[in-house]
Amino acid sequence: MKKRSISNILIVILPIILSAVLLYPTYRATQLEKVEKEYFQRASSNSADSMKIMDNFYKLHGEDLESAKKGRLKLGLDLRGGMYVTLEADVLKLVEESANEESKDEIFAQVIEKTKQQTEMSDANTIDIFLKNFDEIARPKKKYLSDYFDFNTSDDLAKAEEQIQDKLRENEAEAIDQAIEVIRNRVDKYGISEPTIQKQGSRRVVLELPGVQDENQMLSLVKTTARLEFKSVNNDQALVKSFFKIDQFLASGGKDFIDNELSKVDSSNVQKDTANVASKAIGDKKANSKSDASNNTKIDSAKLTENKTADTANPYANLSNEEAAKKYMKDHPFTIMFSSRYSQDNKSQAQEIDYSRDIFPEGTYHFMASEDNMKKILVLMKRPEIKNLLPEGSNLFFDAKPMVLKDNNGKDVNYYNFYACKDFQPKLTGEVITDAIATYNQTNNQPVVNMVMNSDGAERWSKITGANIGNRIAVILDDQVYTAPVVQSKITGGSSEITGMENADEAKLLKIVLKSGALKAPVQAAEVRVVGPSLGEDSINSGLKSSIISFFVVILFMIIYYAMGGVVADIALFVNLGLLLGFMAAFDGTLTLPGIAGIILTIGMAVDSNVLIFERIREELHKGRNLQSAVDEGFSKALTAIIDSNLTTFITGVILYFFGTGPIQGFAMTLMMGILATLFTATILSKALVRLFIKPGSNYFNFGQPKEEVATSNVK
Amino acid sequence: MQFFKETNIDFIKSRFFFFVLSCISLGIGILLILFSEINFGIDFVGGTEIQVAFNQPVQIDDIRSNIEKGGIGDAEIKTFGKNNQYLIRVKENNTNDSKISTQIMSVLQKSYPGENVTKLGENSIGPKVGKEMRNSAIIAVLLSIIAITLYIAFRFEFVYGLGAIIGLVHDVLFTVGFVLFMGQIGVLNVQFDQTMLAAILTVIGYSINDTVVIFDRIRENNEIHKGLEIKKIINLSLNETLSRTVNTGLSVILVLTIMVFTAGPVLQNFAFTMLVGVIVGTYSSIYISSSYVIYVVDKKLRKDRAHELALKRK
Repeated sequence: MKKRSISNILIVILPIILSAVLLYPTYRATQLEKVEKEYFQRASSNSADSMKIMDNFYKLHGEDLESAKKGRLKLGLDLRGGMYVTLEADVLKLVEESANEESKDEIFAQVIEKTKQQTEMSDANTIDIFLKNFDEIARPKKKYLSDYFDFNTSDDLAKAEEQIQDKLRENEAEAIDQAIEVIRNRVDKYGISEPTIQKQGSRRVVLELPGVQDENQMLSLVKTTARLEFKSVNNDQALVKSFFKIDQFLASGGKDFIDNELSKVDSSNVQKDTANVASKAIGDKKANSKSDASNNTKIDSAKLTENKTADTANPYANLSNEEAAKKYMKDHPFTIMFSSRYSQDNKSQAQEIDYSRDIFPEGTYHFMASEDNMKKILVLMKRPEIKNLLPEGSNLFFDAKPMVLKDNNGKDVNYYNFYACKDFQPKLTGEVITDAIATYNQTNNQPVVNMVMNSDGAERWSKITGANIGNRIAVILDDQVYTAPVVQSKITGGSSEITGMENADEAKLLKIVLKSGALKAPVQAAEVRVVGPSLGEDSINSGLKSSIISFFVVILFMIIYYAMGGVVADIALFVNLGLLLGFMAAFDGTLTLPGIAGIILTIGMAVDSNVLIFERIREELHKGRNLQSAVDEGFSKALTAIIDSNLTTFITGVILYFFGTGPIQGFAMTLMMGILATLFTATILSKALVRLFIKPGSNYFNFGQPKEEVATSNVK
Repeated sequence: MQFFKETNIDFIKSRFFFFVLSCISLGIGILLILFSEINFGIDFVGGTEIQVAFNQPVQIDDIRSNIEKGGIGDAEIKTFGKNNQYLIRVKENNTNDSKISTQIMSVLQKSYPGENVTKLGENSIGPKVGKEMRNSAIIAVLLSIIAITLYIAFRFEFVYGLGAIIGLVHDVLFTVGFVLFMGQIGVLNVQFDQTMLAAILTVIGYSINDTVVIFDRIRENNEIHKGLEIKKIINLSLNETLSRTVNTGLSVILVLTIMVFTAGPVLQNFAFTMLVGVIVGTYSSIYISSSYVIYVVDKKLRKDRAHELALKRK
């Protein structure tokens, strides 16, 4: 008996603990966000110390908030406001734009026009319709695909036609990938927090942009064509010298300048960096003085000269390690934000350098900054006073994709390489690219990308590559560097091979980026939903209000009708809701308005299960069974009905989840999770509760059954 | 507390009356579905829909004439939630060519200079997407009905599966018909959209839940009282589950009624549709699904008896 009650207690306690654990991050995140708001208000009313106040917050709670946010229950756009957009590749426009501008004629326009009309009516593939119309209209007039498109390599007519068809389909398939890459870039740049960008099927992409209300802002994300440029990379001695000057400028101009500038960065982005850098600078210095060679991952920090004692001119000579680190940080506010490594040429091993003196060797430098510092550097570079200190015509560009490295605490941090880039004279843009192919090198089987340029581009490319052998040329899309390969030799003929990709995916990405120079993937919005913040708030409020009212009405009804049985059912209902929301949070579910409807339905189903059981127990008691066997019988006999009815509803949920879209899926998700929770709480948990509530040796439990029946059952 | 004490209501007796009643109301429902112009939401046909708020209530006709003057024809305008909030809907607008919502907003701001007209929200859906959503909605409903039939037929007998489905189809048709009727006479702002679809699918789920509970009891009583007439078994089962039917029905109806009045404009239609569906679903479990089972089993029995008799005579 005792053993049994322990297992009963466990059955009750464990799910409660589980749901508490799963819901804790949600609670914590909400709480910390309140604190953050308070800090933010204080910071904005106190402009002098604004940075310090926010820094203080992130030092205290930053990591906590970040990890809490990861595990929290997310609210759908309909509840927090924002914009939901489905984009579709405009395939016909893609076909039209990929045709040769000069050779487009009346016949081609006819084909396009007819295809346009037909695609509006039909669900068939646009390329199929285009090809069919081409066969019907153009071919009788002795026109071939190769008259309009020039991406065939074969001169054989039949083969060329086939090649062009394949290429059109390939372009169609890539269009949406291209759009995704471009949009992903921009979403970051516009500072939209927690966006989701998801490919749906092969031709659509779904964007969820919380907080975005303005359609024009969205369209600017989506519509403007991407800008692909080639620039020369000049990470040289002149650059590090200019970095030294920026240090001096900022150190003499006081920290105020940086603080003022950086406080303009969105407060949520300014993380506990300065603190981090400081601790790292000290940590690294200590590591250095112990000549620990194994700390090669700690790169994002200032290094102090190792020969500090030997050099009497060194201002750090008479300082303790700690003081030296402090002084260095104060003197070099700019360069402590990133790591600078030097190598004699591009091949040899790079080594860390520092800015304690204005003496730098000639050669190639590599720079890398953490994501947070990157944002700060980009803000500083917008200031003309600072930008003008860079070598003339140069600007800093960061990699599009980060490297993930561990910091001192073993946490993953994104690091970005950056380069000082200059335009070529005249500018070279992606328009000269006619094609890009991701493939493998035949000799070493490494992934490579072959880039093909038109004749004008090829001519200029051979001049540029000839003049830049041994230097890097950056491929920049929308101000982000996708690759910066070193020129190996003068490239004539317009076909270049780019190596250095780590895997086939990287090669494919580069191909898509390069092609966006040649072909701007046109996209159109197929679906736009905007929920204003006040509408979202209204929905939350009324949804919550009605859930809470109905919840309490049901709870009250159960207690009135089933007495102690009702108490058991209500506890089970609470645990049910806790588990449901907890699992939603754990499995990255999103709570939407229809989701709230799903929760209300779950309440109904859960209550039904308990009603079924209690009615059955009452029946068995009425038949004259003793309490123990009536409870057992009641639960076991109600079980088949509970399982059958919940499973059929579950089936509906599964079908809804797979065939519904957006809001319906949210409903189906909560419904399914709710049913699973109900199956557990109604059968296992409430049984354990009933057993726990029955006093040992007692033959009475108040299920709200009429009194005389209690008497008879007591007699037996 | 106990509402019912050992009832022995003869549900079965009045089954023909209710059968006729259902037929008549269903007939009206089907006629409504077929002949009234169903107000599809833009989810299913494409179009643009924006929700706007004024400082004070304004005349809907006034808004309409202003919008028409602004060159946007055929707009549907309704109040939305509070009485100073309106929903403006324009159908089959191509999302790319013109930004209808921006157009409407600028027209409104010009026409009501004193008012601070704000956009609360916007939905705009291309015709192609709308068509796809409509198709996937139909597939979802059909598939869930088929899947449920198969499940019931597998867990019970085939005739029970059929009975359940007849009940389901009855519930869906009646609910849709009734909600359309309410829209037709202007009590409700109904439109057939994704939310409505979700409500109907939930009704399917609830209605089948109710039927399964009764069937489960019939299955059990069939074992206990072998040889008893099917009519009696079903009547006994209906009486035994009556307390549960009423209690669960009552709780769900309570919850939904609260939702109809408090859940706000977006969930209101959902709650109302479900409310209708739950009531009719409870009814159909007793009078439609169970009656169908009686009808088939009885008929088979009579046939068998006739067969036996014929054998005996020989």
